[in-house]
Amino acid sequence: MLTAFARAFRTPDLRKKLLFTLAIIVLFRIGSHIPVPGVSFEMVRSCVEDSNRNSLFGLVNMFSGGALLQLTIFALGIMPYITASIILQLLTVVIPRLEALKKEGQSGTAKITQYTRYLTIALSILQSTALIATARSGALFSSARSATCDPQGIVPDDSLFRVIVMVAVMTAGTSTIMWLGELITDRGIGNGMSILMFVSVAAGFPAALWTIKEQGTIGGGWVPFFTVIAIGLVMVGLVVFVEQAQRRIPVQYAKRMIGRRAYGGTSTYIPLKVNQAGIIPVIFASSLLYIPALIAQFSGGKSDWAVWIERHFVKGDHPLYMITYFLLIVFFAFFYVAITFNPEEVADNMKKYGGFIPGIRAGRPTAEYLNYILTRITWPGSLYLGMIALVPSIALVLFNANQNFPFGGTSILIIVGVGLETVKQIESQLQQRNYEGFLR
Amino acid sequence: MVTGFSIALIVFSLLMVLLVLLHKGKGGGLSDLFGGGMSSSLGGSSVVEKNLDRMTIIVGVCWFVTIVVLGLLLKNTY
Repeated sequence: MLTAFARAFRTPDLRKKLLFTLAIIVLFRIGSHIPVPGVSFEMVRSCVEDSNRNSLFGLVNMFSGGALLQLTIFALGIMPYITASIILQLLTVVIPRLEALKKEGQSGTAKITQYTRYLTIALSILQSTALIATARSGALFSSARSATCDPQGIVPDDSLFRVIVMVAVMTAGTSTIMWLGELITDRGIGNGMSILMFVSVAAGFPAALWTIKEQGTIGGGWVPFFTVIAIGLVMVGLVVFVEQAQRRIPVQYAKRMIGRRAYGGTSTYIPLKVNQAGIIPVIFASSLLYIPALIAQFSGGKSDWAVWIERHFVKGDHPLYMITYFLLIVFFAFFYVAITFNPEEVADNMKKYGGFIPGIRAGRPTAEYLNYILTRITWPGSLYLGMIALVPSIALVLFNANQNFPFGGTSILIIVGVGLETVKQIESQLQQRNYEGFLR
Repeated sequence: MVTGFSIALIVFSLLMVLLVLLHKGKGGGLSDLFGGGMSSSLGGSSVVEKNLDRMTIIVGVCWFVTIVVLGLLLKNTY
């Protein structure tokens, strides 16, 4: 394992890529700490310390590595890009033109990527305006109540010109993040966007762990501290186990003679992962559940329904919230698998190249068989996703921890998913030179 | 002074957005984001891309410096 690390750094082109990625990550973290001009930094700092328990922006803040609440130039993080990708992914199902582009192959995908980038900019203008409006009205830190924090004082000068400057800076910040991510994809290692997301999520870990230590009462806070770390390690192991789990459906290819040479005749398999959808269902569900809380907050929280929402949906420890969250995740897991994996297409392709699943006829029976397997395997996958995502809520009840519980389901899923993917990519680069890698 | 830097900042921000959008998007797509295939694009970048990269870096540095200067100026005002 360690020798593999040493070898990774001894390989010149891999070393260059790793160092490049590290440099970009450093730039990204620096940007996440520079406040937008026009924001009173001292005020923000004293407010952030107060509002650790603010759960409304929990997920979004986590994705930005805590930069959102600090109103820095990278405050929006990669959230606009994620949202834009989700929207376009859903639209490909609805709009025929996008579907045609997707089928076109590489050039079509490039075009869709370009649309995603335009949409990201549009979304980031929208979100930065909303964020500044929220900060100006004082709703961003509504839960913070202390002598030093005055929510109205975060944006001291709220003339239109100053607000425009702030929106421009945040939008440019988002586009810079997009560029940094693409640079990593292009010249570094792994997928840039997911690596930046990984960095943001991981950056919140030490602070959140320390909060648990500070707030804990048993054994000076060290007991809950180490308990949480132990639980986290167990969960990482569990998540790795399920993420790697897959069902291999054997496929036999017919032998063909073309001229004097024989082609095919090989047997391979279609890997169907237990959790085919990845963490996308969790992200979908959290974004959806975040909307009612947002509406309630904007309405001022006085009317009956706003109070009801406030009680049931803002904090994650209410049973109704947990059940809704769980059901939404299960639903989206099936939904997303249905979007991304098309059994009929796979069956058609197999038929075209002379492949078949032993014991099953090619064509429609194959599609039906694949569909049956996929539905059955997605059940445990979706249930697992729901359970993992509920861990922070359960911890909220048991440990009285806050919503940004460091080993929350979403963050562990992201860390493990991105980590595995990146290690696999480093490994494939390593194997161009020598065979022994990280994973055996 | 503050107004001048603010205007400069708006201009740099717009330039930054424009330059980034001019780049050809690398990778992308949702399935790529959360563990998809390992599709690494081969082939180096063209001369146009190289110049674009250089310009983006220059504008980015200017943008960054302006933010820091404006932030310090405004801090003294409040």
